[in-house]
Amino acid sequence: MADEPERAQPVKFRGGGFVSKPRRFVAPLVFAVLIAIWEWGARAGWISPLVLPAPSEAFEAFKDLVESGQLLRHLSASLQRLIVGFTAGTTLGLTVGTFIGLFSIARSGLAPLVAAIFPIPKIALLPLFIIWFGIGEGSKVATILFGSFFPTVIATYSGIDNVDRGLIRMGQSFNLTYRDIVRKIVLPAALPAILSGMRISASISIILLVAAEMIGAEYGIGAYVLLAGNLMATDQLIAGVAMLSILGLTVNWLINLAERRFLKWRA
Amino acid sequence: MDLKVQGLSHRYDDLEVLRGIDLTIRQGEIVSVIGPSGCGKSTLLRLIGGLERPTEGEVLQVGEPPADSLNPLTYVFQDFALLPWRTVKGNVSLVLESKGLAQAETDARIADVLARTRLTDFADAIPKQLSGGMKQRVAIARALSVNPAVLLMDEPLSALDSQTRELLMDDLIQLWAREPFTSCYVTHNLNEAVRLGHKVVVLSRRPGVIREIVTIDTPVPKRSISDPALAEIQQSLWEMMREEAMTADMELADG
Amino acid sequence: MSIQRFTRVRGLVAVGAIAATVVGFAGLTAASAAEKVVLGALRFTSHAAGFIALDKGYFADEGLDVSFEFFQAAQPIAVAVASGDVDFGVAGVTGGLMNLAEKDAVRLVAGVLHEKKGVDGMMIMASNKAYEEGLDTVPEIKGHSMAMTQVGSTFHYMTSRVAEKEGFTIDDVKLVPLQKVGSMIAALKSGQVDAMIMVPHIAKSLVNNGDAKELGWLYDYAEYQISALFTSVKNIEERRPMVEGFIRAYAKGIADFNRVMLAADADPAEKEEMTKIIHKYVYNDRPYEKAAPSIQAGAMNLNEGAALNKTDVAAQMQWFQDQGLVQSKLDVDKLVDDSFVKNY
Repeated sequence: MADEPERAQPVKFRGGGFVSKPRRFVAPLVFAVLIAIWEWGARAGWISPLVLPAPSEAFEAFKDLVESGQLLRHLSASLQRLIVGFTAGTTLGLTVGTFIGLFSIARSGLAPLVAAIFPIPKIALLPLFIIWFGIGEGSKVATILFGSFFPTVIATYSGIDNVDRGLIRMGQSFNLTYRDIVRKIVLPAALPAILSGMRISASISIILLVAAEMIGAEYGIGAYVLLAGNLMATDQLIAGVAMLSILGLTVNWLINLAERRFLKWRA
Repeated sequence: MDLKVQGLSHRYDDLEVLRGIDLTIRQGEIVSVIGPSGCGKSTLLRLIGGLERPTEGEVLQVGEPPADSLNPLTYVFQDFALLPWRTVKGNVSLVLESKGLAQAETDARIADVLARTRLTDFADAIPKQLSGGMKQRVAIARALSVNPAVLLMDEPLSALDSQTRELLMDDLIQLWAREPFTSCYVTHNLNEAVRLGHKVVVLSRRPGVIREIVTIDTPVPKRSISDPALAEIQQSLWEMMREEAMTADMELADG
Repeated sequence: MSIQRFTRVRGLVAVGAIAATVVGFAGLTAASAAEKVVLGALRFTSHAAGFIALDKGYFADEGLDVSFEFFQAAQPIAVAVASGDVDFGVAGVTGGLMNLAEKDAVRLVAGVLHEKKGVDGMMIMASNKAYEEGLDTVPEIKGHSMAMTQVGSTFHYMTSRVAEKEGFTIDDVKLVPLQKVGSMIAALKSGQVDAMIMVPHIAKSLVNNGDAKELGWLYDYAEYQISALFTSVKNIEERRPMVEGFIRAYAKGIADFNRVMLAADADPAEKEEMTKIIHKYVYNDRPYEKAAPSIQAGAMNLNEGAALNKTDVAAQMQWFQDQGLVQSKLDVDKLVDDSFVKNY
């Protein structure tokens, strides 16, 4: 056997693929190419301005907005509503969600109620909101509050449901007080679920911004988009929608930051 | 302080888990509890520490726990039960917080138990950075920090690989040698039971009753892997359990 | 037997083929005679002229096979006409419509709804709360809040006309855009806004139910062109005879409507017959007895002969341009094609 010439060949590589690696430059490139095609199509005339205005026209509309100083008013009006509504909705949602997660009575009483109200499109309730909360900031904030409240409640109590019971038993075995077990074990353990719930409720809040600003809003990105739609000013419409999209991306980025900051400990 | 288990029986609905357990754990003594899987070992441990209420019988503390004991009955869990978001130090301090200790004393206690478990250099690491053995040492440090009267250990080494298990067993033996602690040590591993236990309690399969209590006289720090006397005891324990272990293995869950 | 069956089958096939050919020819001629036209409409009494023209066969007389596409709001009709999904639409002369005209998509070709002194039209009304606090005449609106659907809507424009006539400007009232008529009603009923202008059938029922107070009628301030018939520029250029025929038939519908629904001395039987025609499309989710009063309450003056008040349309356009809601380069001749009906 030793004197027979051995045929040697490298073993063929068969693994690889099926692994997603981050490619940083791809996303901006896709955006750039799409916008370039869109612009070129609009200039060449095979995308009618009626169907879709050129990106440059939308940008022009955006520039007008900046130069007229209206951008700041729209942005600050919308951000104020978003922040107040989202903060209040999230705080209330965390509280109610924690109660549902911890107490059987709260769960039996409130969980079905939350499940029943969550799917109602808040936009359908606008006329009622006007009567309940008025046409001022109240109803706008309330719309966003309702939108962010329910997902937070559900995320919080399902997060609490999924907390490792072993950790709670550990806390009890060391005679930690009920309050400490909730504060130091249950809530931190539910935080990943709560944060992913916040990601959803933040997006819902931005979606509802337009609905909220249907009610007597003079300023706000939602109001700007609505007006553009009513006037068939498609360039302004695209500019407004792009702003909403950027707002969404920003919020998403902030939540990523929060996750990186607070959830480092996750494997 | 001694612990006395008297006429303890337990059932979950129709399922009888433990029947008529009588057992005394004396101060400074390690009592190993072994038995086939599903015999109620862990339930017994939860009953002893007051995490569950027995259907019948009672568990008595005889004598006073040491004055500086913050949590007389303290557990060490199989899955470590560390808070993944807290550092090693933070996990220990969790059980000392809001116990009315001065900051200086808390710090001193933490430093002491980390030194005893050789974790001082890892005080600021978080659990996901640690190996399984280190995690369990953190859990042991946490348990020691409250000066327990009795350590209730629920298969503390079962989640570890065999080399790590040996290392940790040595650690436990050293800890005990330096400062003898009282413990109820539940395990399914006969070797651990024999190496650590002053007494080995053998439970039958469900419903668990005490089949035998074997006393081992060799001092714990002097026992070694190759001790023929220990091997013999281990062998006889295995003979005792073998049949039941087989039957238990063939049982369907929720039978 | 098999041969017998074979012949019979073959015979049937032959007869069938001949029949198919005949029917096919008939279908072909019918299709070439009746041109398919789609009218975008709302289920409002103000759109009734189209329903009447169809029911009475005026469209068919012009060789048009008209069908309706119903919408929830006027704005989407304009978009549908621009995209070619619908051939004609009736909508208020709004900023949105003007901007579509500026993009060379649609043009106004005939008048439909026009305020006329003495004929119930848009009502100016106050909330009960504001009324009790002293808002009981139209000029006192100055300084109060008013609901409207949108910036650039007919409500927006109407308010400006009232303000102009009473010697103040639109900046003297606080206009609240609420997007939907339902929201406007909710806001007025609950006293969140002090006043609004509303279509007659809704306004009258609000007043009759005690939910709001009447202040006056818009026709005392502006006899103006509220809504118009429009079509796509493509239709005007490529299907001119069809557009002409459609407008002729629509004008006949208008004539019938004005004669029967608006005249005080109209024949009750004829009025009922016409209300029944309209009821096929408007409030058809309610029984006739309940729907009839609402339908009749919604009757407003339609442009006789479908004539279009181009002068007023130009004035409206100017106002929208002054407000910065419509591009200032839009010319009235791009908005209105005056070659179809009498313009004044």
